[in-house]
Amino acid sequence: MDFALNDIQQMLKDSAGKFIHNDYDFETRQKHSHSELGYSEDNWQLFAELGWLALPFAEEFGGLDGNATDLMVLMTELGKGLIVEPYLSTVVLAGNAIQRGGTAEQKEALIGGIVGGELKLAFAGLEAQSATDISSISTQASTQSGGVVLNGKKQVVLHAQSADKLVVAARSHNNNGNIALYLVDANADGVAAHHYPTNDGARASDLTFTNVAAELLGDSDDAAAVIQAVLNDAIVAVSAEAVGVMDKMLSATVEYTKVRKQFDVPIAKFQILQHNMVDMFMECEQARSMVYYAAITIGEGNSEEQVAEANKASQFLKWKVGQAARLVGQTAVQLHGGMGVTDELDVGHMFKRLTMINTLFGSMDTHLDNLVKQRQAA
Amino acid sequence: MNINFSEQELAFQQEVQTFFREELPESVQAHIDNGLSFSAEVTVAYQKALYNKGWAGINWPVEHGGTGWTPTQKYIFQTESAKAKAPRQIPFGYSMVAPIIYTFGNEEQKQRFLPDILASNTWWCQGYSEPNAGSDLAGLKTRAVRDGNHYIVNGTKTWTTLGHHADWIFCLVRTSDEDSKQKGISFLLIDMTSPGVSVKPIITLDGRREVNEVAFQDVKVPVENLVGEEGRGWTYAKVLLTHERTNIAGVAVSKQRLSALYDLLNQPPAGCPDLKNNSVFMSRVVQVEMELKALEFTDLRVLSSVSTGTAPGPESSILKIKGTEIQQALDELYVEIAGIYALPFVPEQYDEAGYEPRIEPFFAPNAAPHYYNNRKVTIYGGSNEIQKNIIAKQVLGL
Amino acid sequence: MKVLVTVKRVIDYNVKIRVKPDGSDVDLTNVKMAVNPFCEIAVEEAVRLKEKGIASEIVVVSVGGSEAQEQLRTALALGADRAILVESTANTESLNVAKLLAKVVEQEQPSLVIMGKQAIDSDNNQTGQMLAALCDMPQATFASEVSVADNSVTVTREIDGGLQTLSLQLPAIVTTDLRLNEPRYASLPNIMKAKCKPLATVTPDDLGVTLSAHTQLLGVNPPPQRSAGVKVKSVAELVDKLKNEAKVI
Repeated sequence: MDFALNDIQQMLKDSAGKFIHNDYDFETRQKHSHSELGYSEDNWQLFAELGWLALPFAEEFGGLDGNATDLMVLMTELGKGLIVEPYLSTVVLAGNAIQRGGTAEQKEALIGGIVGGELKLAFAGLEAQSATDISSISTQASTQSGGVVLNGKKQVVLHAQSADKLVVAARSHNNNGNIALYLVDANADGVAAHHYPTNDGARASDLTFTNVAAELLGDSDDAAAVIQAVLNDAIVAVSAEAVGVMDKMLSATVEYTKVRKQFDVPIAKFQILQHNMVDMFMECEQARSMVYYAAITIGEGNSEEQVAEANKASQFLKWKVGQAARLVGQTAVQLHGGMGVTDELDVGHMFKRLTMINTLFGSMDTHLDNLVKQRQAA
Repeated sequence: MNINFSEQELAFQQEVQTFFREELPESVQAHIDNGLSFSAEVTVAYQKALYNKGWAGINWPVEHGGTGWTPTQKYIFQTESAKAKAPRQIPFGYSMVAPIIYTFGNEEQKQRFLPDILASNTWWCQGYSEPNAGSDLAGLKTRAVRDGNHYIVNGTKTWTTLGHHADWIFCLVRTSDEDSKQKGISFLLIDMTSPGVSVKPIITLDGRREVNEVAFQDVKVPVENLVGEEGRGWTYAKVLLTHERTNIAGVAVSKQRLSALYDLLNQPPAGCPDLKNNSVFMSRVVQVEMELKALEFTDLRVLSSVSTGTAPGPESSILKIKGTEIQQALDELYVEIAGIYALPFVPEQYDEAGYEPRIEPFFAPNAAPHYYNNRKVTIYGGSNEIQKNIIAKQVLGL
Repeated sequence: MKVLVTVKRVIDYNVKIRVKPDGSDVDLTNVKMAVNPFCEIAVEEAVRLKEKGIASEIVVVSVGGSEAQEQLRTALALGADRAILVESTANTESLNVAKLLAKVVEQEQPSLVIMGKQAIDSDNNQTGQMLAALCDMPQATFASEVSVADNSVTVTREIDGGLQTLSLQLPAIVTTDLRLNEPRYASLPNIMKAKCKPLATVTPDDLGVTLSAHTQLLGVNPPPQRSAGVKVKSVAELVDKLKNEAKVI
């Protein structure tokens, strides 16, 4: 039993932490976020150089064979900078789906590009009627003159604007109702996109596919297990990111209340504010513990029992992080007073990111509801 | 980063399981299932069994007869002990006074007191709180005045848990009014049979006698019962508080209680409401389960850093607060699951073996008293509000 | 050409220093430690020399407890080839460190030694100078530019009010200033490679150095707390305050 970071993780944490500290202050982040691209291409190339884009991929395709705890370490540090680069979409979602579901040829063809920083991806899963449930989709694949084409509409596809290729979840072209994953060129004929900024400083798009040429990802048209595994990784990634955001918010709040004076004393002297900050601290630590639990558990193996435990761990995690993020975010804004609700201060933007993380991959209440139903059925 | 036990640790786990299987009579294990109170006799018998196995001094140094276990071994022991539904070791001797004696006491005191504590030959209780000194403990007024080879002790201690079984009491007493109030406090060991010591029961909300008020009237205490230096008692007590954090979260016991709660939900006894199909209730159960899982990992993080010899990180400070909040949340759920059978007040059926006629479902009438009694956990050991003050100061630097 | 670089384990520069309650020393419990920033600049400079094909091997050395291996690994991850830890926790004052390093220099025979000009923990700024004296080597401190050609190194130094350029015969010692370079971030592949690079541990005894204490730490005091400033509404108010409150004009 060992919960300490190993040497490599410790150095990764230091190196990523230093990058955020030196090159990713809030003003820089806002500049990237408001740029035409919505992020910094220079940073993306640096991520490639530093090996971050290679982290979860297999060594034989140019990756570094990192596991979920490695990803956790990196994402927590990146969270402290509220990064807007499409890491989640390219590496954790779409790239990961290729790694888990793709054929050897597809991996050979695509992973090198991701690792090298030349290829950016987006993952198109949800649709208007599916809310947060990816099993409820109607985008349909079909066979047309020897090839496969897609028809349908995808909503709020993160970072589609910068993506070269898309991994799209759709009903199988074998018409068996299975959900399969398909690779699509983002600028292929028949792809219509409406790009827009998101609440938390990133970009997303609504995509319409009309007879878009597509290639099945992998050999099987049943991608349910791959999708679930990818979502588990994504939950660990955004939760670890949220912990980084919360750490930053807590320290910002502590510093602010030590400086801000009212009634002739720093407001940090007031016991009720102290206890509020202790509550923030406890939630940060409990959320971090749950990230550890999930990150360790989802990498354990592929037996039925291990998969069930992994799914449970990601549900537990998403609930805990949603709950902690709400308390930490709201309290941080409250303790910053009027400044907390201004666009000028970073704390409000951290609050926005935390709020949006809760909406991704199932909200806390969605996961709680699912867990209750599972317990009732047991 | 991994959560697996090593081969030696797995072997140790086997050994612990075997111990509980062989040494813990079924009648004792049945106490937890049936909600029966552990009597002093049952507890002492269990403590003696641990002693015979060499496992009584879990946190003690080896030279005083301790186990020398690693933090992971302690964790395994606590987990298995909760699973086996064993009684708990009464902490006052083993983990409260003994560490102060072996850390700050003289050779004569170590020889005189430690072996009997380890062998469970003496029962100790704690004399810290006073009617007017609770959270502000340093304001205590029980006074020890030096008179030749004795101290003359006068004053009153309260909330003395199981003091009515105790042979000895360890006390914080005032020996000086000079300097700060903390510096005038000394650490004194007092024989409960000394003339002038009187013990008066305090009945708590569960209708039971667990705590007492202990009064001292001109009690003569030999000076050799002073531990360490006069005026340093506060420092000794504080050092202990920061050291003994093992098991403070009570995760193992809460896990066992949660699993028993699921058993009740899956097979509700006749007379109890069917809460498994009540999604609002189930949502509360699942939330406790998740919070407990997070706390288990917080506990493991602390354990892991202690095992590798590094000082526990700031996360250790939340164990008491979160642990007790979860214990109380479980109590609330148990009261609800008891339904209207939470109402009968019949403590006798838990305290007297074979009490007839029993009210069924047997667990139910004990749910509310347990809930009432356990309100103490967020109050004792430094109330949770005091804990938050400490975190604000020491961790957040406020 | 072999380059020897020294690194010191210090409290991370982002950490707010806390003094132990008894004022005996700085409190290091659970504090994040890092490579001294000036040493990191020294490592970076050596790596750049290697990338230019000038340096052939970079040996990185630290004097400290076994925990200093972390900082040596970091230097290896940044591009050093092998590491030496002189394991010693007692009496690591500048002169003793310089004596230990002098032995390492004697054994390794580097053409160039690059060191941080000072460590941010004790701010002594003297180990490089002492080492130069002990090894009888030329030294250039506070370097803001370093170039090596043939058998010499040209160093631009930051001095009061301007720059000074020196040329030194190799072997020589250079200590780095802040503006010499901007250290890179350790890349993940290099971090992983660093694990396999050799790290040797020696003791002062192995090096035949006896360490005696020349200085004694008497106490550490935190700086006095600065009180918050005030905003004035007008120049007149400022003048009034400077005259009557601060009494500086």
